[in-house]
Amino acid sequence: MRVAIIGGGIVGLATAYNLAKDGVDVVVFERKYLLYGASGRNSGGITAMLNNERLIEMAKKSMKIYDEVQSEIGFNFLYRKDGYIKVASTENDLNKLKEEMNLQKRMGVKVKQIDANEVKDFIPDFNADAVIGGVYGEGGVIFPWPVIWGYAKGCRELGVDVKDYTTVEEIVVKDRAIDGVKANGEFFKVDFIVNAAGAWSNEISRMAGVELNNKIIKEEICVTESLKPYLDPYLLDVTTGIYLSQSMRGEIVGGIVGNEVESIDVKGSLDFLVKYAKRAVELIPKLKGLCILRQWAGVYDEGKDIPNISTTNVKGFIQANGFGKFGMCLAPAAAIEVTRLIRKT
Amino acid sequence: MRLGEHPILEFKKGKEVTIYFNGKPIKAYEGETVASALYAAGVRIFSRSFRFHRPRGFFCAIGKCSACMMEVDGIPNVRTCKVYVRDGMQIRTQTGTPDAEKDRFAALDDIIDRLFPHGAHYKRFTTPRILREFMMKQMRKFTGFGNPPKAVYEGKAEFEEIEADVAVIGGGPGGMSAAIYAARAGAKVVLMDENPFLGGQLVKQTHRFFGSGRHRAGTRGIKIATILEDELKELENVDVRKETKVFGIYDGVVAAVQKDEKLLKVKPKKIVVATGAYERTLIFENNDLPGVYGAGGVQTLMNVYGIKPGDVGLIVGSGNVGLILTYQLMQAGIKVAAIVEAMPRIGGYFVHAAKVRRLGVPIYVNHTVTKAIGKECVEAAEIARLENWQIVEGSQRVIDCDFICVAVGLSPTHELLYQAGCEMKFVPELGGLVPIRNKYGETTVNGLYVAGDVAGIEEATAAIMEGRIAGVDAAIKLGYGGDEAIKIREEVVKDLEEFRSGPFGERIVAGLKKVVVA
Ligand SMILES: Cc1cc2nc3c(=O)[nH]c(=O)nc-3n(C[C@H](O)[C@H](O)[C@H](O)COP(=O)(O)OP(=O)(O)OC[C@H]3O[C@@H](n4cnc5c(N)ncnc54)[C@H](O)[C@@H]3O)c2cc1C
Ligand SMILES: Cc1cc2nc3c(=O)[nH]c(=O)nc-3n(C[C@H](O)[C@H](O)[C@H](O)COP(=O)(O)OP(=O)(O)OC[C@H]3O[C@@H](n4cnc5c(N)ncnc54)[C@H](O)[C@@H]3O)c2cc1C
Ligand code: FES
Repeated sequence: MRVAIIGGGIVGLATAYNLAKDGVDVVVFERKYLLYGASGRNSGGITAMLNNERLIEMAKKSMKIYDEVQSEIGFNFLYRKDGYIKVASTENDLNKLKEEMNLQKRMGVKVKQIDANEVKDFIPDFNADAVIGGVYGEGGVIFPWPVIWGYAKGCRELGVDVKDYTTVEEIVVKDRAIDGVKANGEFFKVDFIVNAAGAWSNEISRMAGVELNNKIIKEEICVTESLKPYLDPYLLDVTTGIYLSQSMRGEIVGGIVGNEVESIDVKGSLDFLVKYAKRAVELIPKLKGLCILRQWAGVYDEGKDIPNISTTNVKGFIQANGFGKFGMCLAPAAAIEVTRLIRKT
Repeated sequence: MRLGEHPILEFKKGKEVTIYFNGKPIKAYEGETVASALYAAGVRIFSRSFRFHRPRGFFCAIGKCSACMMEVDGIPNVRTCKVYVRDGMQIRTQTGTPDAEKDRFAALDDIIDRLFPHGAHYKRFTTPRILREFMMKQMRKFTGFGNPPKAVYEGKAEFEEIEADVAVIGGGPGGMSAAIYAARAGAKVVLMDENPFLGGQLVKQTHRFFGSGRHRAGTRGIKIATILEDELKELENVDVRKETKVFGIYDGVVAAVQKDEKLLKVKPKKIVVATGAYERTLIFENNDLPGVYGAGGVQTLMNVYGIKPGDVGLIVGSGNVGLILTYQLMQAGIKVAAIVEAMPRIGGYFVHAAKVRRLGVPIYVNHTVTKAIGKECVEAAEIARLENWQIVEGSQRVIDCDFICVAVGLSPTHELLYQAGCEMKFVPELGGLVPIRNKYGETTVNGLYVAGDVAGIEEATAAIMEGRIAGVDAAIKLGYGGDEAIKIREEVVKDLEEFRSGPFGERIVAGLKKVVVA
């Protein structure tokens, strides 16, 4: 059995790794470099404080897999487990957080409600007046780059052919079944194709003649100059969508939860910087005056199901996309699901 | 180490104040930057490098290299070369234990590559989980550069939106000329420069300019800056913003920060980028040692802040910049041990070389610097002879000096152009990456022009003419100036062609052929 995976992001690579562990012959196609997609551009927030049972289950499992897989592959993903805080500044948002928390608790996630002042227990310089309350739970920050490098290393050691700078141009379907794939002009005969192309999944799906209407979301993010350890947990303000955390290099990494866009572009904007900076210094006033070093944007896709792991009416064409803004939290466990689905078909 | 007497420049000392450096009181004068006051007081180590804990000293003097970042009154990562002293200021180094000067971890320089080779943080101690997580905690202690902020920054955070016909970025001779010519044609102009003064590179040039009389030869560079600024002042439709750094061009909107406390959102119809050039560096052993400078750093230190970079210098590079810098140093009473030049001949103009020779400074052609010697700052330099660009073994010798100045050319400051989406090309004759443009300087981004060194390393004279062309063309395209403006534009275009037609222009003309499209 031979499987082609389209997309060298976390979903594609984690899936390739799991299939290869199962003894499957795998080839991964990445159009640009590894890290080009959302997996190389995200903020690495890891949490199981999500809003439905399937996601919570998947995220919990992923957190465990992260622990194991780093030892297995011999690569440190710089996963810092200093907690995950969600704060809200409207009653409505706070109530939603509480509701979700009850579900999370029932499912065994370590999470508790905190009032605005208690945020200071975790972030001493936090401005309690900026919010009305929140929740604190297990989780933290992972550095996305070593996650990708590590999975790619694991894949290659298991014999996976990870091809970067290789664009999938055509999917060959015969009698409503996958025959193979054409990439950089070369034909590869395969039994299965996994569409893990993130924001580009709609295009790839169309190549196989399968309609997929994932929403495309663009999200902007930036980093400041580096500071010594200052901010331990990952902080998300659900009311404004602004989040920030500190990387292992010391930079304050922060962004605003993205919006749906018509077409894919990864240009940074001035409006983002202004909006982000304003709220960030409201939340933590001592961040005022820090210089921003870089800004960038990424695109990801959100499926009707988050994530979308399914077979299609083309035999051998598997969807593994639509992870929305939780790809880093979900992919390790989702990859096992994809592997099972392929095994079953 | 402050300069007293100078034949051309005058340094006024401000009121005496006391600042505290790692708790120790230091005398300084109002109007001095923190970095220059520290330097004058003999401080040589301003910070430590992140991994190897190697010393970092005063380097660029213009807020670009980050070697001088310190904690000032509780605010981390302050570029001390950009802030002025205030009585009672508390300044702390951020890297090194207990401080940057006496850093105990300096020993890491010799051993860290063996203990913890590059990339080890990903590959070592990965298993079992307990060990990995313990190591993460230890590693985190060593991360980060700036101290955690101890105070809330008191600077204002204002916002201003400006509409203009033409936004000019960079206030050197190129940018000033663009602003003058666009404004004279009738356009509303905003001119932005990151420095507290206009003039760009010119303000460092105390020498008389070379070139033809028509192009202001014989006038000192600093004087040309004043002349242009006076011309600007006569124009009411030019809004000059100093200390205003442009950080991005977002779909035609120019974003800048004025005096670190005001965000400007400039919405122009046309943009002229005249950001000049930055200095290249050279690779040799210990080239990061405090006391190794770029030419611009030394000029800024000396001519702007009135501080001696050292007692005896070695100059690397015999182009005009290296030669001029040499006699600027001598003017300020600083010795120059030698000039080394890798090429078989002197790069700069004969007049400058002759002057330097007359002053008794040897120029070694076919020579390069191979090593900076010293523990915490430059104590000497090793130079060697080159044959076919290879070091001749045994030709190494030591030159006594306490600073090394690298003057090996400039590269265009092209970042904004890249970010704005201009199509770029690497052209060695023009000094590096430059944009494709038409003969009026308009790039592949509609309405975005370039002028001066950012379009290709040349001279102030050419920068002035390119600025005029870009400025007036931008105005014309907006319907200003009428036939008169068109006449002016074509005249300057012809003038510039003539200026470049001599032997010195050959290289430039060859380079321009590669990027100027009809
Ligand atoms: C700014 C930002 C912050 C985020 N923060 C978080 C967070 O804190 N926590 C979290 O869990 N998630 C976060 N996310 C979301 C997360 O990054 C994504 O859900 C996840 O990376 C999606 O992974 P993926 O593998 O599906 O897609 P991607 O990583 O985008 O990979 C898809 C790959 O497919 C390739 N491709 C496309 N077309 C072709 C073709 N024709 N041939 C070959 N290859 C092709 C692309 O080049 C791309 O590399 C964030 C995202 C962004 C943008
Ligand atoms: C030592 C020396 C001697 C020289 N001698 C001569 C000579 O004798 N005759 C001659 O004709 N030429 C001479 N030159 C060359 C001449 O000085 C330059 O060619 C000329 O200054 C280039 O002008 P410019 O306007 O393009 O750039 P610059 O003078 O470099 O000005 C650019 C300005 O833009 C500013 N800037 C850059 N980025 C930004 C930003 N993002 N936001 C805001 N502002 C920004 C810079 O700070 C600077 O002030 C000499 C140069 C040197 C270094
Ligand atoms: S940034 Fe201050 S010396 Fe370079």
